[in-house]
Amino acid sequence: MLGKWVVDASYFLQASHPYRKVKNSVYNLLENNHYHYKKIFDFFMIVLIFLSVFILIRQVKHELSYEWIFFNTYVISFIFLTEYLMRLWVHSDTSKVVIEQYEHDLFLHRPFSLSKALNQALLKKFEFIRSPAAIIDLLAILPFFHELRMLRVFILFRVLKLFRYAKSLRRLLSILSSKKFEFITLIVFTAIVIFIASVLIYVMEANNPDSPVNTLFDALYWSVVTIFTVGYGDIIPVTSEGRVVAMVVIMLGIAVISFATSIVVSAFTEKLDEIKEDKLIDDVSRLKRFYLICGFSILSLEVIKKLHKGSIPIVIFEKDPILLAQARSHGFLALEYDSASMETYTHLKINFTHQIEAILLLQESDVANVFTALTIREMNKHVPLYAILHNIEHRRKLQMAGIDVIINPQELIGLLGKILSTQPVAFEAIHTLRSEHTSTVIDEIVVKKGMEKVFFDLLQEPLFLRRLSVLGIFHESEKDFRFNPRHSETFREGDVAIVLANPVLISEFKTKLHRRSVG
Amino acid sequence: MKRTHAAIFGYNEYSKQILKQIINIYREITLFVANSEEMNAAANDGLSAELFDLGDDWGTIEKRFDVRTLSVFCALGNDAENVFLTISLRSSFESVFIIALAQNHESMLKMKSAGADKVMPVLQIAANVIGDMITKPNVTHVLHDILYEDEGLGVMEVKIEHTSPLVGTYLYDTDFNTQFDLILLAMVDHERENSFSFAVEGHNHHIDADDVLVLMGDKQKLALFKQWARG
Repeated sequence: MLGKWVVDASYFLQASHPYRKVKNSVYNLLENNHYHYKKIFDFFMIVLIFLSVFILIRQVKHELSYEWIFFNTYVISFIFLTEYLMRLWVHSDTSKVVIEQYEHDLFLHRPFSLSKALNQALLKKFEFIRSPAAIIDLLAILPFFHELRMLRVFILFRVLKLFRYAKSLRRLLSILSSKKFEFITLIVFTAIVIFIASVLIYVMEANNPDSPVNTLFDALYWSVVTIFTVGYGDIIPVTSEGRVVAMVVIMLGIAVISFATSIVVSAFTEKLDEIKEDKLIDDVSRLKRFYLICGFSILSLEVIKKLHKGSIPIVIFEKDPILLAQARSHGFLALEYDSASMETYTHLKINFTHQIEAILLLQESDVANVFTALTIREMNKHVPLYAILHNIEHRRKLQMAGIDVIINPQELIGLLGKILSTQPVAFEAIHTLRSEHTSTVIDEIVVKKGMEKVFFDLLQEPLFLRRLSVLGIFHESEKDFRFNPRHSETFREGDVAIVLANPVLISEFKTKLHRRSVG
Repeated sequence: MKRTHAAIFGYNEYSKQILKQIINIYREITLFVANSEEMNAAANDGLSAELFDLGDDWGTIEKRFDVRTLSVFCALGNDAENVFLTISLRSSFESVFIIALAQNHESMLKMKSAGADKVMPVLQIAANVIGDMITKPNVTHVLHDILYEDEGLGVMEVKIEHTSPLVGTYLYDTDFNTQFDLILLAMVDHERENSFSFAVEGHNHHIDADDVLVLMGDKQKLALFKQWARG
């Protein structure tokens, strides 16, 4: 009967949309580094930790008001306790474990074993409880339960919680933990040396009335201070035998420090590439909008130069290390990833809809571009795809792969060759306009509400007269281009005016147009 | 003098496309290839080609063509060869019109120094088109129609004859927009050492014979203007 209730409750929770939504939100808040509110939550917790430590320090020599003590003992601890319980809750899905066990038993025609299901669920929760981070969390809550003065030092465990909220600290910990074996070896070695040195110095010195070493603790204290090369000088050996021990311990101390330093340095060196890669991934995930270029080549470089004039950043995927190094030497955000692999996009957590402005497939072969296009289309049907076509015979294949715009340099050259043959000056004019190497550019002005009333009047002002030419208006709704528009031309919101002028003048025109339209 | 003959050097994807586009423009087009492989490739496509050597003294060209009516397309496989071909042709023939292909901006400058009249920097052109398609799709669409479509809008350069009614006037004296429904894009001023400038740069040029006006507009209206400008 109880088993049936538990199973029913589990199915209810699994099917409950509000429950899943809340649990998902809590999980994102606590564990998802890409969740916007996690940063705010982490910052809030860091502030609480520092407040807690500040109160502890202040309490040493000052009397604090009841409110502060209450805040520290109950409010902060309660928040930490709530956080601990929430982490415990989201760590595993108990209802899922129960359902899995129920369905497993059902499949094998066995009676449902509630105890087995609960046992498995508890084991999963215990995984969290015994994790180092959870133990620190628990110790940080302790002052809440005990107001004994001694237990106040447990507040310092709250400082260790910083590892949860500061990513750089987490990274440091993960780097050092990669050398766990070496550190354990060092600790064991140091402990043995300290033990032997303490016993030896105690045996050599304790019976000498002039020696400051009187107890085994004095010997231990001296050994630790000496082996870590601090040497306060408050306790020094006075017998010859004791000084021999001191010389050996000093030498071993240098070895211990060198060994420890080398472990830390090698851990960082080995993880350097990983750290850099992590930083690049972070940089990409922080971008709100970007162009993605698949494949770095001389053509990519030219395209990037062109696109860099805008404000949207560019990310490059290149799997060839030599080309990748070239891209990075130009200061571009280039990642060593295979653009044709779905794993790349899931690993980088790229949101095609919200992050990517357009994807440019500029790899050296049509085969690679088709392969990449199919990968991207498998993941997103709508992201704009542009590709370079190397062999005209492959055009249909690129179209079938879902590429929106295909550019073939050979065809372009053929068409330009035709214009050059008949109208070389016109070619010069158009090419110069496109390359944007002169003081005159061709640009678009998107017409917004109210602009249509002031557009032509503004053109007549001395600043713009004969210096800003309107080639035409592209009527967005009718997809119709009206060349050389008259003053009577009607605009609609979203129409695009194509203008020719100095870029500074175009910018000024846009500013004035905006001001007048809203004024 | 009108260019009636063309010579294309090199047989590759670029020269194939150039040949396809200019076939109706020139009275005669001759294909020159550097080796038997290219010769065979051309033959497979049903084209006859002639072998040439970069070390030639180009006597055959002089014998076969009136170089004043000849346009040459240097479309060899690499930039170094194209530069060498350009400089060889220019050193032999001053009046031949040389159009050269360059892979990048650096090679483009070399081609110009070698004497090419016009250079098509392949990668830069492709990059500009890709960039414009993404950032200025409407501009690209309009320019594409103007440049490549046979009907509708077009661009035309008009050389001012001595008899033209425009001779002796200033640019601002003529309202191209309202009078002809055309937009003046650019001008090559004979008085200013054939310097090229856009109309919107704000210079009220004095129009003389041999100046060149570049106009945009409906192809029929452009033709009418050309007729009118002839005088």
